[in-house]
Amino acid sequence: MASVHESLYFNPMMTNGVVHANVFGIKDWVTPYKIAVLVLLNEMGRTGEGAVSLMERRRLNQLLLPLLQGPDITLSKLYKLIEESCPQLANSVQIRIKLMAEGELKDMEQFFDDLSDSFSGTEPEVHKTSVVGLFLRHMILAYSKLSFSQVFKLYTALQQYFQNGEKKTVEDADMEQTNREEGERKMEKEELDVSIREEEVSCSGPLSQKQAEFFLSQQASLLKNDETKALTPASLQKELNNLLKFNPDFAEAHYLSYLNNLRVQDVFSSTHSLLHYFDRLILTGAESKSNGEEGYGRSLRYAALNLAALHCRFGHYQQAELALQEAIRIAQESNDHVCLQHCLSWLYVLGQKRSDSYVLLEHSVKKAVHFGLPYLASLGIQSLVQQRAFAGKTANKLMDALKDSDLLHWKHSLSELIDISIAQKTAIWRLYGRSTMALQQAQMLLSMNSLESVNAGVQQNNTESFAVALCHLAELHAEQGCFAAASEVLKHLKERFPPNSQHAQLWMLCDQKIQFDRAMNDGKYHLADSLVTGITALNSIEGVYRKAIVLQAQNQMSEAHKLLQKLLIHCQKIRNTEMVISVLLSVAELYWRSSSPTVALPVLLQALALSKEYRLQYLASQTVLNLAFAQLILGIPEQALSLLHMAIEPILADGAVLDKGRAMFLVAKCQVASAASYDPPKKAEALEAAIENLNEAKNYFAKVDCKEQIRDVVYFQARLYHTLGKTQERNRCAMLFRQLHQELPSHGVPLINHL
Amino acid sequence: MAASPSIVPVAVTAAVVPVLSASSDFSNLREIKKQLLLIAGLTRERGLLHSSKWSAELAFSLPALPLAELQPPPPITEEDARDMDAYTLAKAYFDVKEYDRAAHFLHGCNSKKAYFLYMYSRYLSGEKKKDDETVDSLGPLEKGQVKNEALRELRVELSKKHQARELDGFGLYLYGVVLRKLDLVKEAIDVFVEATHVLPLHWGAWLELCNLITDKEMLKFLSLPDTWMKEFFLAHIYTELQLIEEALQKYQNLIDVGFSKSSYIVSQIAVAYHNIRDIDKALSIFNELRKQDPYRIENMDTFSNLLYVRSMKSELSYLAHNLCEIDKYRVETCCVIGNYYSLRSQHEKAALYFQRALKLNPRYLGAWTLMGHEYMEMKNTSAAIQAYRHAIEVNKRDYRAWYGLGQTYEILKMPFYCLYYYRRAHQLRPNDSRMLVALGECYEKLNQLVEAKKCYWRAYAVGDVEKMALVKLAKLHEQLTESEQAAQCYIKYIQDIYSCGEIVEHLEESTAFRYLAQYYFKCKLWDEASTCAQKCCAFNDTREEGKALLRQILQLRNQGETPSTEMPAPFFLPASLSANNTPTRRVSPLNLSSVTP
Repeated sequence: MASVHESLYFNPMMTNGVVHANVFGIKDWVTPYKIAVLVLLNEMGRTGEGAVSLMERRRLNQLLLPLLQGPDITLSKLYKLIEESCPQLANSVQIRIKLMAEGELKDMEQFFDDLSDSFSGTEPEVHKTSVVGLFLRHMILAYSKLSFSQVFKLYTALQQYFQNGEKKTVEDADMEQTNREEGERKMEKEELDVSIREEEVSCSGPLSQKQAEFFLSQQASLLKNDETKALTPASLQKELNNLLKFNPDFAEAHYLSYLNNLRVQDVFSSTHSLLHYFDRLILTGAESKSNGEEGYGRSLRYAALNLAALHCRFGHYQQAELALQEAIRIAQESNDHVCLQHCLSWLYVLGQKRSDSYVLLEHSVKKAVHFGLPYLASLGIQSLVQQRAFAGKTANKLMDALKDSDLLHWKHSLSELIDISIAQKTAIWRLYGRSTMALQQAQMLLSMNSLESVNAGVQQNNTESFAVALCHLAELHAEQGCFAAASEVLKHLKERFPPNSQHAQLWMLCDQKIQFDRAMNDGKYHLADSLVTGITALNSIEGVYRKAIVLQAQNQMSEAHKLLQKLLIHCQKIRNTEMVISVLLSVAELYWRSSSPTVALPVLLQALALSKEYRLQYLASQTVLNLAFAQLILGIPEQALSLLHMAIEPILADGAVLDKGRAMFLVAKCQVASAASYDPPKKAEALEAAIENLNEAKNYFAKVDCKEQIRDVVYFQARLYHTLGKTQERNRCAMLFRQLHQELPSHGVPLINHL
Repeated sequence: MAASPSIVPVAVTAAVVPVLSASSDFSNLREIKKQLLLIAGLTRERGLLHSSKWSAELAFSLPALPLAELQPPPPITEEDARDMDAYTLAKAYFDVKEYDRAAHFLHGCNSKKAYFLYMYSRYLSGEKKKDDETVDSLGPLEKGQVKNEALRELRVELSKKHQARELDGFGLYLYGVVLRKLDLVKEAIDVFVEATHVLPLHWGAWLELCNLITDKEMLKFLSLPDTWMKEFFLAHIYTELQLIEEALQKYQNLIDVGFSKSSYIVSQIAVAYHNIRDIDKALSIFNELRKQDPYRIENMDTFSNLLYVRSMKSELSYLAHNLCEIDKYRVETCCVIGNYYSLRSQHEKAALYFQRALKLNPRYLGAWTLMGHEYMEMKNTSAAIQAYRHAIEVNKRDYRAWYGLGQTYEILKMPFYCLYYYRRAHQLRPNDSRMLVALGECYEKLNQLVEAKKCYWRAYAVGDVEKMALVKLAKLHEQLTESEQAAQCYIKYIQDIYSCGEIVEHLEESTAFRYLAQYYFKCKLWDEASTCAQKCCAFNDTREEGKALLRQILQLRNQGETPSTEMPAPFFLPASLSANNTPTRRVSPLNLSSVTP
């Protein structure tokens, strides 16, 4: 399964999972829209308790925050919003603004003079430090700072704003024009509008510092938690460009632009934005910080570190390493342990791609705990657990470690890591072949509410952990033959993670794997073959493996063997044990299918040893099945039976339906084979039992549409019935066999010589 | 688009029409002179001062006309007569920069001249207000938002006239300017091309076109009128696009046909030489230009760069004082003074003057970069980064700023980080050895020796300015114990130095000789070894080693080792050079203000 830690990247706007844009300079100024909001606040204060119902007041209060934080909107939109929550207030606001805009400059001046009254009195309407109070005070301050010409400019802007709003509302009702000249002027206006409309669609005006910060932090957190809800890459970039045009010094916008470019995998633009961000950050750091040198050096270190992260994300590992070395060197020179910790984590991520380096990781965790960096510490623990799981540590130790890190998460409410932890547990249980436990963990994650809700009403975020859990869920269902449920899950995945989003690759791979398995079960090898390309694109190792399986099924043994050998060597090199065992099993199958079961035995034993060592129960029982089959071919069915008794329990408990069917089929075969030496009554009994088992196998196979296997089972049953002299049943089975045989192309493999 | 008589400006009546449709060759210089004088007058009447200045300058460079040939002023038409009073009044207001007032009195005028002045004063009034607004905007984020409010209205009116084909050459020019200000580049180019067809003599339209064309491909697809003005345009744009060879060729042609006295052409040639770093030629041309036109301020910043590179303190000082007397508050003057202070290592003052230049013209790109260099000298890296970033914002293709950023990060000991910046600089100037050497140094620091070798070799191949690439390459080979190649590089290096004959201190010379001496010694080529060892003795730092080696060679020879066959030394060393070449202080790599295109 893909690593859950792909999302490990440092975001300077974020500390311990909380996104916030940095704070500096003047933040806000008066615009006509702000005046309108001020009028609304003023009106709300003036209307007494009785005038507005409680419900309306509550709705208004809910409306206020987005109004205060959001970008400027047109007057008509504002009216509509107010109207939705309280019609009568909308009316009075409208009148007040109309009076102010159509009056004189002194009306506006008077309005601002009166504003501060709301703080006075024994029982002030607005508390000075409340959100609204702060906003009011900001505005009063900003207004009093305006110069003479600016005040007038503001007033004309207000008039303009008001007229635009009026025009919108009147436009539909009043179509006739009083005289020709005016009509002409209107036409000119429209002509102008056409040319600039496309600009205005996305951005209604320049954002104030505060609004811009809000916009940036909102989009950044959306990108992290729920990409689909953020603006599309193109429109976000447009907004950012706009923002940067108005204020090139707004460095955070460059960082968001970098994140946005990462989304579309654009290495050039993202490098450019990242470096630009840090060039800018260095300035602000040097200017605003009193401890200038420190802030400045810090951003340098993180600049190099981020560059390393960027290269790592694009798979330029060598470059990433160079950048990381640089970051480490600078961090060491300035004794920045926190930065060094980040570097260490990245060093592990880089090392992981090449060879295992858990020593680094252990160091990292210890140090991180020592320096009080819970996020890094538990991220380290999780990586360690993942690494150890692949190295075959026992489940109880891993779960213990995860439990410890869970404690940390809950203590610091790191909801992102909680999600990851559960997703990881799902993956681990699945790795060990405990499908029930995996299922339970996946369900737990999915039915859990997130701690931080980005948007009110949304309980979950679309993070990688959810994608991982859902993919597991789909695969688990597919294994049990519940294809409808699996495709339902996949459909949900497609909706939540549209194909061009970050984590879409996960479900794409999962989807194709399920389709591939179904095609193989169905015997539609050409279909499976066509899927191989898609799988290879997403995961090359998996792709090669599947290609080999298809070749094998099409009886192109030597090609399959070549491919498998290559794959085996590669996987052994990168220590992908899971894949090694699967490949070994396929190789063994190749051997006994080319009638040399004796050669297959050592291969199988090797696979068994590996899967026992790494505690991969699922693969272990598959290996045992293969071993038993080999023994059956070698003519020691009794041995095979005893072996099977050992393996059948976990298979029936946790295995895939296909394996259950195979196991039962094999049991029946062994029973028949060992019954050959029995005396007739006992033999008949054994055969009856075999027929029962075959029925069960047939049921399992039917669940996953394995027609070929069903055909074999039916044939076998017919033979058994024949021996027992049950003609009627025999004929029924024979007919079924004939039907299936006509449907399926025969590949010339001896029918019974198949697991 | 052909220049049909119907859209030829009405102000110029039938008698003048043949004059304005300029011919394509330079055979009739008198005709050209007449045309230039005429257009100078026309542009002056319309307040297009720079075009007028250019035409007049060019006309001045041609021989004077006899009285009989002098052009009578274009006759006045009925329409002109009607608007005469308004025009005269408005022009007076316009000249004292009361644009709104001028526009007010011109409202409703129909003659082309008055209409142009009407629109133009509205445009200028908008621009002026925009400049005033920037100081007084509502908030920091609104800074970039301030725009010329008049532009949109102007565009609508002009586009209507344009569609009705009522615009003359000047009207089209103004329309183009408005479009460009609205960032409608494609439309603007079309309109300017049309303007050059209708009124090819108007230099302003050509100049605007120059600013909009960004590469050679674009130039290829323009359909330009076939006039002698086109030659000036092409020469100018070749200079802008750094196609220096072509530009010089064009200018040479222009001089050959009789424009040799034009200070414009001379200065352009000087700039072109400066761009290809032919410093001596550029310097001599600039000196010539100063003699011809002592009060000229344009291009003097380039001249000062040249003086700076050559460290000609007294000349630079003279230039600075001279310019300061002519006009203190010109961008060029500030730049020259900045360079002067920089050369005197008074970097704070230098930065101050560059800042002043930027205040006078925020889009004056060179000053940002130069200021960055000054901050670098003052070790104020963050301010330097800021300055360079500003330069890049103004012009993304400013390779000096990219290079400067790279150097800043290199100083901050981030060799990997600065690779990106050097690469950008290298992309913009693929044949500039300095970027390649810088890249090579970074790779060397990152221990990526293969890449470093490639860079150095390429730097040498494109013509190394600082002559350091070969030494560095040789040292790399030395490190990798590829002694054969190392020796080759040193030999090439020494050949290079002596062949170019410049007297510049080369510290690495001694290193080269020392290595070569030892190399030949190892190869048992005694003669060569002793030659090199003798050379070593000429340098302070290698003298002892040279002597020791000489002794050893003598010893070995005396022991009876048969000397190898008489082979000529692989390089020729002029005796005069090798003797008196004492190394002095090496120019520090930080001396960046010398980075000139």
